Amino acid sequence: MPSPALGDQPPDEAAGRRSTEMWMMLFACGIVAFAFASTAASLKDQRLSTIVEYMIAFLVIVFGAHLAVRRWAPYADPLLLPIATVLNGLGIVMIYRLNQAGRDGNASANGQPISTLSHSATTTQIIYSVIGVVVLVVFLALIKDIKALQPYTYIFGLAGLFLIALPALLPSSISGVAGTGAKIQVSIGGFSVQPEEFGKLLLAASFASYLVVNGRKLSLLTEKWWIFSLPRRRDLGPIMVVWALSMLLLIFEGDIGTSAVFMGLFVAMLYISTGRRSWAILGFLMFIAGAFVAATFVSHVHQRFTAWLHPFSYANLVDPHGTQPSYQLVQGMYGLGNGGLLGKGLGNGQPFWTPLVQSDLIFTAFGEELGLTGVMALLLLYGLFVQRGLRTAMLVKDDYSKLLASGLSFMFALQVFVIVGGVTDLIPLTGITTPFLSQGGSSLISSWLLVAVLARLSDTARRPAPKPIQDEGMTQVVSLR
Amino acid sequence: MTGMNRPIKRIAIAVLVMFVILLVNVNYLQAVQAPSLANRPLNDRSETEQNQVQRGNIVTADGVAVATTKSSNDLFKYQRVYPDGPVYAPVTGYDTIFTQSQAPNYATGVEKAENSLLTGTGSQLAFRNFIDMITNKPQKGATVQLTVNSKAQQVAYQQLQATLQGKTINGKQQVGGVVALNPSTGAILAMASYPSYDPNQLAVHDTTKLNSIDSKLTAEDPSPLLNNASQTTLPPGSTFKIVTSSAWYNQDSTRNPNTVIDSPQPLQLPNGNLLNNDSNEQCGTGSGKTAVYYAFAQSCNTPFAKLGIQLGGSTIKSMATQYGLNNPSAQDITGVNVAPSNFTAEADKSFTAFDAIGQHDTTVTPLQEAMFAATVANGGTLMKPYLVQQVTASDLSVVEQTQAQQLGQPISGTIAGYEKQMMTDVVQQQEGTAFAFNANNENGLVIAGKTGTAQNGASTQPDAVFTAFAPADNPKIAVGVMIEGGGYGAAAAAPIAVAVIKAYLATVGNQ
Repeated sequence: MPSPALGDQPPDEAAGRRSTEMWMMLFACGIVAFAFASTAASLKDQRLSTIVEYMIAFLVIVFGAHLAVRRWAPYADPLLLPIATVLNGLGIVMIYRLNQAGRDGNASANGQPISTLSHSATTTQIIYSVIGVVVLVVFLALIKDIKALQPYTYIFGLAGLFLIALPALLPSSISGVAGTGAKIQVSIGGFSVQPEEFGKLLLAASFASYLVVNGRKLSLLTEKWWIFSLPRRRDLGPIMVVWALSMLLLIFEGDIGTSAVFMGLFVAMLYISTGRRSWAILGFLMFIAGAFVAATFVSHVHQRFTAWLHPFSYANLVDPHGTQPSYQLVQGMYGLGNGGLLGKGLGNGQPFWTPLVQSDLIFTAFGEELGLTGVMALLLLYGLFVQRGLRTAMLVKDDYSKLLASGLSFMFALQVFVIVGGVTDLIPLTGITTPFLSQGGSSLISSWLLVAVLARLSDTARRPAPKPIQDEGMTQVVSLR
Repeated sequence: MTGMNRPIKRIAIAVLVMFVILLVNVNYLQAVQAPSLANRPLNDRSETEQNQVQRGNIVTADGVAVATTKSSNDLFKYQRVYPDGPVYAPVTGYDTIFTQSQAPNYATGVEKAENSLLTGTGSQLAFRNFIDMITNKPQKGATVQLTVNSKAQQVAYQQLQATLQGKTINGKQQVGGVVALNPSTGAILAMASYPSYDPNQLAVHDTTKLNSIDSKLTAEDPSPLLNNASQTTLPPGSTFKIVTSSAWYNQDSTRNPNTVIDSPQPLQLPNGNLLNNDSNEQCGTGSGKTAVYYAFAQSCNTPFAKLGIQLGGSTIKSMATQYGLNNPSAQDITGVNVAPSNFTAEADKSFTAFDAIGQHDTTVTPLQEAMFAATVANGGTLMKPYLVQQVTASDLSVVEQTQAQQLGQPISGTIAGYEKQMMTDVVQQQEGTAFAFNANNENGLVIAGKTGTAQNGASTQPDAVFTAFAPADNPKIAVGVMIEGGGYGAAAAAPIAVAVIKAYLATVGNQ
């Protein structure tokens, strides 16, 4: 029950730091506006009015988010929103820039526009940003306490599994991604959704509530296996189930990235809830072993591995059977190399050579046009975002929130690692989105949802302890929320 | 449960490690590996980048642009243009949209040799590029100035074309090459080849078109892509008598052009076979004894074959090597692909007899022919041929300049004088094989030369060879001409050499 006393108390400006957030968001918008201007200056035949419209729309969106946070999560971490703003904005700028390739006399690989980018790609991405921010606002307005989600352990779990498994169950004509062996989307009438983006969040929530209940049991009851203190065999059930699911995902959807993120999320949360490294090591080894077996026996996974190990071999670059396992990866790396230290500048590089540069390989487009300097800044932004999430996990009081905050933050970090590591040939390249930057609604909306959850969690974590009411003679009413 | 904070801290450290790995990896890719990535196969970006810079012009010594650029409206900003393509093709070569590391077989000639300066990426230009970058000037390639004289080159190609167009042996197009040198420096004044090709066709931006034209030109036999002036070798024929007589003079300082030597007809070789003069005619008066200068002018075979037998293969070979045959440093010319000219010292003196008159297995390039005349013209000192005079950056400062370089001194000044006298007689004396051109020296121009008519096993028509320099008393140009299946040297090769000499001397104001 909300206390009337607390309700009357205005948010503490110093503790909330909303003004700091506002100034940082203005700075973020300034960066985006500058990026837009720089792009427009480099490309041919730009209409200033269009760009101003885009920029105004973007300002409205992000300041809408800011006002929602002011209203419903006044103590939220002040860095989450500015980082999301600058990443989302730069993503829109890059999509706009790629959208122009092959149009209005701008250069492109074959003189044609990038085939999957329609005229309206930028507008569409802005609409997705609107939806993402609306989701954030609705979440903050409706969910006042994240613990409200805690009871739905199995509903979230099943819903998450259903969303992730859905593409595998549907025929390839609906779920297949053209030109890849992956089945990760649901495409109906030209409109496609990647349900796994939302499935991951639901699974994180489900894991968190499951582990709050079972974590202690898993941590205390162990048995000695040779020199290792390992969980009891009967407690291995959940990790085996998740491992089996991630392997099925790997085999039936050909989606190594999601499989790794999924497994990593569970293992990290298991480790956090039990505090036992043996879980983490066990989970890691199980995934590596599973991936190795899959790489040996499943052809499209095998192809990914050979492309990773021998990207420049001519056979991998130009496969006589028409598939080009490493062509995309190598073109992305050429883009990064072409960018060098300082980049070619927005609009001056040649990112259009790289297939799917607007989605999976958008990081390489930034590498080419903003250079090493630019991608290091992007990586630091991502790192900072994750660090704020983990800090929230440290600050927040209850176990469920801790698990959820740390799990989601780690999942976000893992996703960045998997895609950036993939496009830089550090690990096998897998088709997952780059949070906030890639073209596509599902990823962008789920990223904003993640911001909403972290904002809610950090609001709870940073809310000052309620002040005792000073009126003498009355019973002190303390909100425990 | 605050107990979770410890694992969360560890997770935070794990995340930190993950991001550090990513940062290190992008640093490695974009800072360390970037140059090697640029040269990897199928890197369309490098091709495009290279073609965004305005490539420097290639100009002749007298300032005529033979390779230049015009702006282009496709993915590449500039289109390479060769205004007089086929004439200069053996010199300029061609530049394609492929980078050289990606397609090493593409691009030839000066375009290939000076690529880094023409594209403006050479290390010599790094400082100027840096200045251009901070002053925001577009980067531009350096200009390469050739030693070639446009008039001499034009005439050389036109003459070759007129002589060879449509002429075939066994259904194959006959080939020919002309090289003109400045005898005192080694500068290449003209280098023409027939058949030639149009480099504009290979500079197209459409890779499909480019590949089809390249494979067509490569498949043709003989391939027009081959520079016949420096890559085709033919027997030197009687022009090799310059080398044989040089070796003979060199052996004994009392010998001179008036020394009388044996001139039998026919000459019986050690293996019992007979060696004849051309058309079995008698040498000189038919007395069996003839002065060297006379035998040389009339181009008798038997006296020089006999000298060859006396000298022996290894003595002739040593002289030939000093003239540039079998000599790798004579082949190392920037922008020119040179096939080696060969002389093999035979143990069997019967073969040496044929070698001494430029038959058997001795083969030389037109460039080597020009080097014979140039050596004599330059008083016995052979200068190293070169094609690139200098390279100037876009700010007109000189980046590179070629200095004349001595390749060797095959013969003394005295012997060079004897050779000059004999070669002058070839053109000036009544009995000289090239006397027909005496009629042309009414303006006081005295040409010295030596004809060669080489039996080439492949065809009934002999190859025509001529090596010459002029003016004889103050040589400014030395020319070597070789025409496959051209017939008599005097008939097919000499007119071309004379035309080139006259065209060149006209430009330097000496007629």
